[in-house]
Amino acid sequence: MNDVEPLRLAEVSAGYGRRMVLDGLDLGLQQGTITAIVGPNGSGKSTVIRAMARLLPARSGVVLLDGHDIRSFGSRDIARLVSVLPQSPSSPPGLTVRELVELGRFPHTGLFGRFGAEGALAVESALTLTELSDFAERPVDELSGGERQRAWVALALAQGASTLLLDEPTTFLDVRHQFEVLDLVASLCASRGMTVVMVLHDLVHAANYADRVVVVDGGRIVADGAPSEVLTVGLMRTVFGVAAKIFTDAESGRTICLPISTGRS
Amino acid sequence: MRSARSFTALTLLAAIAAAALFILHLGLGTVWIPPDRVVLALLDRPTDPTDLTIVRELRLPRAILGLLVGCMLGLSGALLQVVMRNRLAEPGLTGVSTGGIFAAVLFLAGTWGLPHPGRLLPFVVLAGALAGGAVVLVASSFRGRIDPLRLILTAVIVNAVLGSLTSIVMLNSRQALGGILSWLIGSLNGRVWDDVWLALPWAAVGIPAALLAARPANVLQLDDESGRALGLPLQPARVALFGLAAVLAAGAVSVSGAIAFVGLMAPNAARVIAGADARRVLPLAALIGCVLLLAADLVAQSLSIKPPIPSSSARVGLPVGAVLAVFGAPLLIILIRRSIR
Repeated sequence: MNDVEPLRLAEVSAGYGRRMVLDGLDLGLQQGTITAIVGPNGSGKSTVIRAMARLLPARSGVVLLDGHDIRSFGSRDIARLVSVLPQSPSSPPGLTVRELVELGRFPHTGLFGRFGAEGALAVESALTLTELSDFAERPVDELSGGERQRAWVALALAQGASTLLLDEPTTFLDVRHQFEVLDLVASLCASRGMTVVMVLHDLVHAANYADRVVVVDGGRIVADGAPSEVLTVGLMRTVFGVAAKIFTDAESGRTICLPISTGRS
Repeated sequence: MRSARSFTALTLLAAIAAAALFILHLGLGTVWIPPDRVVLALLDRPTDPTDLTIVRELRLPRAILGLLVGCMLGLSGALLQVVMRNRLAEPGLTGVSTGGIFAAVLFLAGTWGLPHPGRLLPFVVLAGALAGGAVVLVASSFRGRIDPLRLILTAVIVNAVLGSLTSIVMLNSRQALGGILSWLIGSLNGRVWDDVWLALPWAAVGIPAALLAARPANVLQLDDESGRALGLPLQPARVALFGLAAVLAAGAVSVSGAIAFVGLMAPNAARVIAGADARRVLPLAALIGCVLLLAADLVAQSLSIKPPIPSSSARVGLPVGAVLAVFGAPLLIILIRRSIR
């Protein structure tokens, strides 16, 4: 077993301007697992991901990447180890899927270099895994929402990093496409042993796909554990302010969280 | 559907067109020299000794400048479209042209007691152009950050200020009024080898550097967060690419004046043909820039006018900038109508 955590936030505080969003947050990731980060709007979920990839520097505390202080890494070194899919990524009109995915090799080539056989292989396998080989020459902006999201996942895969951070990967997708993207992520985690962190709004998805659910509120972790342990009626009321029913699906054994109302009536 | 093969074919076609226009350009003038004799003269085996003088001494510098300036403006525009994330970005949006012209009118307005002010003018324009670009860059950075939209707005404002100052100086000085017109419109009339040597260092450094910048340019075309997640330091990259675009434009302006439209048309045409990948857009924009400028200068050369300028009485060729604006604008409109539905 590899006991070095791929990523750990140790007592990390971070924020924008004078507003601190993360308040001494402590979170370590286990290799090869899917962690869902959930919490109300403005709780600091996305900031956790941004701090993990040093897109936002920690004001205090340390971010450890493979056990080493992330500040000792160059930007491209980080990009080789951690790939991030932001909330609303955008590509220029006319850029094809293949051209987008090839950008995933940027951290591996010199500023001016070519990406060689290894890079070409990484791009092909990313296209195959995301089932985009037939769409490779199509402009990204002409794809459907689900296909477009898969193209961005493919870019992250071509990057060859072992940790994948996704910020609300299912937003703006219809329910079928939501499942497609999440299934893809789950299969990558299983087949490639990737460590995945997803910020999710949908607690049903979080319970369904994550090995571990981390609930963030006010820049702190308020609950952390397996979905069945974390998602409780009490937590739904105190953190999200809703009344919910929690039950276990007899067939699959999965925890199902069903928010009912604001609980005020 | 764009394929790698059709891109190679189109690039080859553009290169052949540029070469053909180059030969044609060398043949055209008061004396027509057919292409075969032009090529022989270029190869130092002229059929007629006068061909050698006409082609190599009189016409070659202008044709080379057309090639270089077209290439530089095309690349400058393509880089700026990336840095400013806007397809309307062009070399005129760097403060470079207006800075160069303002320096030129200031220089022409004062006599300064210099022996050969005419030969110094390109250097003055170059200095003003680089200064104009630097002003835009510095004024648009805020807490060390360069935002594409802020960059465009700053450039528009700096251009307006420099343009007004230029008008004020021109209204107060006859010398400036007469001498500045061809710089304002942009022209290759009467250019000699000295002008080529002036532009060459900028071209020799700027053109290869711009072509090599395709990868970071591609990453810059994504949203900021994705770009940073790929490990590109965004602000240094923007400053570097803007600086490169400004240097290319300044080199061009210092020998030809503010030629409009090439820097806007070439990258837009390249995008319509090759899509968005900078690895294709940059070389194609450079080639299309050459083709456009050489073609327009052919037309400009063949149509002469007698300008009502106090300081000159000779008939001169049309300024190439005017030809480009007149013929280029409709072409650009057609192109944009077809590509943006």
